[in-house]
Amino acid sequence: MIRYARLYLYFLRFSFSRAMEFRVDFFFRIFMDSLFYAVSLAFFWVIYKHSPFMGGWNFDQALVFAAGVFLNDALHMTLFSNNLWWFPVFVNKGDLDYYLVRPVSSLFFLSLRDFAANSFINLLIAVTILVWALTRYPEPLGVERVTLYCGLLLLGVFLGYVLNFLFLVPVFWMHNASGLRETYFGLGQLSGRPDGIFTGWVRRLLTSLLPFALIISFPTRALFDAEVGSVVLQMLAVTGGLFGVLLLLWRFGLRAYASASS
Amino acid sequence: MSPRLFLQVASVEMRKRMSYRVDFWINAFVGFAAELTVAWFLWTALYAESGKSVIGGYDFDTMLVYYVFVIVFSRLVRGTEFEANVSQDIYEGGLNRYLVFPASYFGLKYAQHIGGLFPTIVQTGAFVAFWLIATGGAGGESITPTGVLMCAASLILANLLYYAMSFPLHVTAFWADNVWSLLVTLRFASNLLGGRMFPLVLFPLFLRNANEWLPFRTLFALPVEALLGRISFDAWLQGMAVGLVWLVVLAQVGRAVWRRGNLQYSGIGI
Repeated sequence: MIRYARLYLYFLRFSFSRAMEFRVDFFFRIFMDSLFYAVSLAFFWVIYKHSPFMGGWNFDQALVFAAGVFLNDALHMTLFSNNLWWFPVFVNKGDLDYYLVRPVSSLFFLSLRDFAANSFINLLIAVTILVWALTRYPEPLGVERVTLYCGLLLLGVFLGYVLNFLFLVPVFWMHNASGLRETYFGLGQLSGRPDGIFTGWVRRLLTSLLPFALIISFPTRALFDAEVGSVVLQMLAVTGGLFGVLLLLWRFGLRAYASASS
Repeated sequence: MSPRLFLQVASVEMRKRMSYRVDFWINAFVGFAAELTVAWFLWTALYAESGKSVIGGYDFDTMLVYYVFVIVFSRLVRGTEFEANVSQDIYEGGLNRYLVFPASYFGLKYAQHIGGLFPTIVQTGAFVAFWLIATGGAGGESITPTGVLMCAASLILANLLYYAMSFPLHVTAFWADNVWSLLVTLRFASNLLGGRMFPLVLFPLFLRNANEWLPFRTLFALPVEALLGRISFDAWLQGMAVGLVWLVVLAQVGRAVWRRGNLQYSGIGI
């Protein structure tokens, strides 16, 4: 474990020194994500001018939800996004060999090697918005609930990573991941709205097999709902189950991988 | 640039796009279905929770029709914004070959852009036809031949305008090592201010008034409102005039940035 932690620190060092070489991109990214936050907040602000609730949540609760969306996005962009973007390219060009011959878990190495230092500032902005949304909430939330919420948000980030990877793993057999990537991005929109708006089989689907509604809505539920046990259990079960599926597919995928001729 | 050359370049680009058929339909269908699903559930919840049957002048059916058209039209307006792009030519040194061609670079790239749009036009036709057959009409709205013509003219202007907006951002590649984030920024801004996220009538009045003079409204809201007959002819003309003025301004900005960048282009890529 310590070896992995030390290795990750090296990833961080390399990533920050690389980001400093491309300073213009660094500032463009900050600008882009700041605008994303502003546009998303404007969306909720305008919608709540016409309705007191959305999916059962009032404006104050929706702001906390939106802040959760920003934090999730910033963490995903910082930790995983670059790595997952290149994964299909590595498979098709045979560059995955580089990751497979290292004496560490190939999945760990591939998923976390490139820390997006240029998204790190956005992570700080997202945290600031979350703190603001929580402190301006008109009722007391309680330390335990907030701690649970933060823990589940992190679990949601991990679930998002697992889902993203699951959509890319078929590249071992299909060789072209563009459609899969677009499918993930298309479905990813479903996690950016409160799960309370979904009903029927779509809701069941989005909280089980394609758990996009779990990623941010369920942590937010843990903050506001009276009953949180089932929320936590469902998140843990679905995340654990899907991570198991990912490990299996990764193993099968590596067997199908034929290096440069893949 | 001769029209014949323009059509030839567009035709090559179109055939290239059509060759990846599976991706082409997956991307189109999943994106469309996911966006429409979100819109459907979101507005079902909002109409129920607000207790209103009409929000911003839209009942639920019309609101849904608005989303159907704004989703498919935005594909026509944006086209292949991240592909066949100018910045890639600059980064990889591919611009060299265009510089020796006896044709305008902007014209050639726009021809590629239009060629890449043909598959999207096929998809748009398919989705709209499917929607109209499945639902039996356009909500409570009546689509007239005049509305269709106004919509078509708006879409042509909107496509040119979006290209003119993104061109200077692409050309920033002469100085910046990555312009992708600038293009995404344009996407975010145009989504909100162009009526891609919701009808612009939902904005508070002061924002609506300010937005009338910005180029974004011409992109998505104007074609849909024209098609659905939710805008008077005079208001449509005003929207088109604002869009045209912005098109001229942005084309000049693009040209100036392009000229400036060309002076320091080394031709070896980055």
